[in-house]
Amino acid sequence: MSKPAGRSLHRQLLLWLLLPQIVLWGVAAFGAYRVASRHADELVDASLLQAARALARQIRPTASGLFVDLPRSAQDILSVNPADPDERVIYMVSSPPGQLLLGDARMPAPPGAPRLNEPVFFDATVPEPMRVVSLDLQLAAAGAPDSALRVQIARSSAPRELLARRMLLDTALPLSLLIALMSMGVWAGIRKGLKPLAELQQQMEGRRADALDPVQLQAAPPEVRALAGAVNELLGQVQHSLATQRRFISDAAHQLRTPLAGLKSQAELALEATSDPALRQRLERVRESAVRSARLVSQLLTLARAEPEAVAAQGWAAVDCGRLVREVAADGVPRALAAGCDLGVEVVHEGLSVQGVEVLLREALINLIDNAVRYAGTGATITVKLRRAGDDVWIDVEDNGPGLALDLRERAFERFVRGSAHGEGCGLGLAIVREIAERHGGSAELLPAAPKGCIARLTLPAA
Amino acid sequence: MNLLLAEDDALLADALQQQLLNASFKVEWAENGAVAEYLLKKQDFDIAILDLGLPMVDGLTVLKRVREAGRTLPILVLTALDALEHRVAGLQAGADDYLTKPFDFPELEARLHALLRRGRPASQAQQLRGLTLDRAARRASIAGEPVELSPREWTLLDLLLTERDRVVTKAQIAEAWGSDDGGSLEVYIHRLRKKLEGSGLAVRTVRGLGYLLEATSSP
Repeated sequence: MSKPAGRSLHRQLLLWLLLPQIVLWGVAAFGAYRVASRHADELVDASLLQAARALARQIRPTASGLFVDLPRSAQDILSVNPADPDERVIYMVSSPPGQLLLGDARMPAPPGAPRLNEPVFFDATVPEPMRVVSLDLQLAAAGAPDSALRVQIARSSAPRELLARRMLLDTALPLSLLIALMSMGVWAGIRKGLKPLAELQQQMEGRRADALDPVQLQAAPPEVRALAGAVNELLGQVQHSLATQRRFISDAAHQLRTPLAGLKSQAELALEATSDPALRQRLERVRESAVRSARLVSQLLTLARAEPEAVAAQGWAAVDCGRLVREVAADGVPRALAAGCDLGVEVVHEGLSVQGVEVLLREALINLIDNAVRYAGTGATITVKLRRAGDDVWIDVEDNGPGLALDLRERAFERFVRGSAHGEGCGLGLAIVREIAERHGGSAELLPAAPKGCIARLTLPAA
Repeated sequence: MNLLLAEDDALLADALQQQLLNASFKVEWAENGAVAEYLLKKQDFDIAILDLGLPMVDGLTVLKRVREAGRTLPILVLTALDALEHRVAGLQAGADDYLTKPFDFPELEARLHALLRRGRPASQAQQLRGLTLDRAARRASIAGEPVELSPREWTLLDLLLTERDRVVTKAQIAEAWGSDDGGSLEVYIHRLRKKLEGSGLAVRTVRGLGYLLEATSSP
């Protein structure tokens, strides 16, 4: 295809099926018209010649000249056709040819040099378009000199054209009807034939970038099935390589955990064994780094679990939000207390539930609470609030800590962006929360709290 | 306390052995599944820590075989695999608890003690800071001085002590009491707080959740 964006297959098929038909129709109509008018000409010419000969027979040479006996019957031939009052007939007899003997002087001379006994047919305007026959004869009779004679009869050509047109109409009209019917048939056929393609298009268009399930085409013709098969094979390969990659990440992350646990334990032991403050400080850094790495590994695994196929595999169910909030917050209380934070729960509306994967929602909430504990600081009050907002469920983790600058609020959801340079965070927490919220058709955002502090809000569609 | 540690990572095993030793456990180390299985079947351990990713025989198989051999000692599974299905598989194979690497040693220690306590139900006197709870005799004392507790107060304190440093919800308390008497709970908490004065322990209110027994800074 020469054009960068090809024309629609539908339109192309229509064009290439119908255009030749219309051209052929035109050629056929023209041909039919030609044949019809030739037949009409022949008919007219034959009758003209017959009339000319009949007229010529009435002319007899005599010793004193030519004698024309134009009886009633002959006049009838030349008279107006009663069936067609518009038809006009004129005649001329001249002898020697060109010199009027009888008839209408307006009759034009035949083109060229006519030969004896050979009729010449031609069109002329006298003053209307007419078909003319001109017949040159040599009359010979005993006792009379030979005399050259020309008999010409002209008949208006309008009826001839009328006849041809009627013949044309008789052939072209059914042909046109046929073309129209055929076009409709072709149109319907193309539509029906291209339907599997349209289905394929629909399936591909409505697809999310991460939807890798095979294309479903029932009873598709072999050509389309082959296309769908190729697409499916490709999707399968992509899915397979994605799965391999994820499994690799998961395996690697798991493998990292044991040495990190060893590193952490060894650092803790060394911390216990020494009282040298400088050494202790360094060991504390080693321990912290091991903890942070371990956390990063865990978060990476959680992120992998929040991938669409993983979510689909984990089972979707109704999750009781009140229970979830209470359980996760209760688990978080010891960590909050250790950090000097007062963690509490406020369930504004009871009986709220959402559709989702409980493990993931739990993980999201744990991340929000840990975030608040980490950034709100010692002495902060953190409250997990559950309430209904229209068709949504809001899970707010509100703290009265220093809060977060506006420009950091959105950036905080990006991967590996951390709110502060210290601490054990790895910068994946909020990215995970957002990922999980979006998998559940919800959202996650950070809002300022009054008079100070931060609200991390998880919005989920209520079940 | 005899403990079997089945862990193939030498670095971690070495550190854990030392930490467990410091926490007064007698540790035997098995560095692969076959040795772990042999030792668990042949020797009497009070408790075992089992890694799932062991060489030769994997941890889950060791666990199943040991249980099939009729050993009932508490076994804590320690693993790098944290997905729910692994957890479920571990517990179904006969694990008593499940901890994911990396872990905080105090948590591991607390869980080991909890498992050991579960093995000797209610027979043991429990002590924390100045408080001693003799479950067999249903007697409580603070710094040696006996404390009078009503049955409900006893149940409440027992629950808080068992779950210490963890939140005990109002629903848990109601269940332990066998009644849904939410209105008077605060009265009992108030009384308990008074009685615990000077024990080095305090009942903290966790907003919207329940209560938690914690050690105060001054014992």
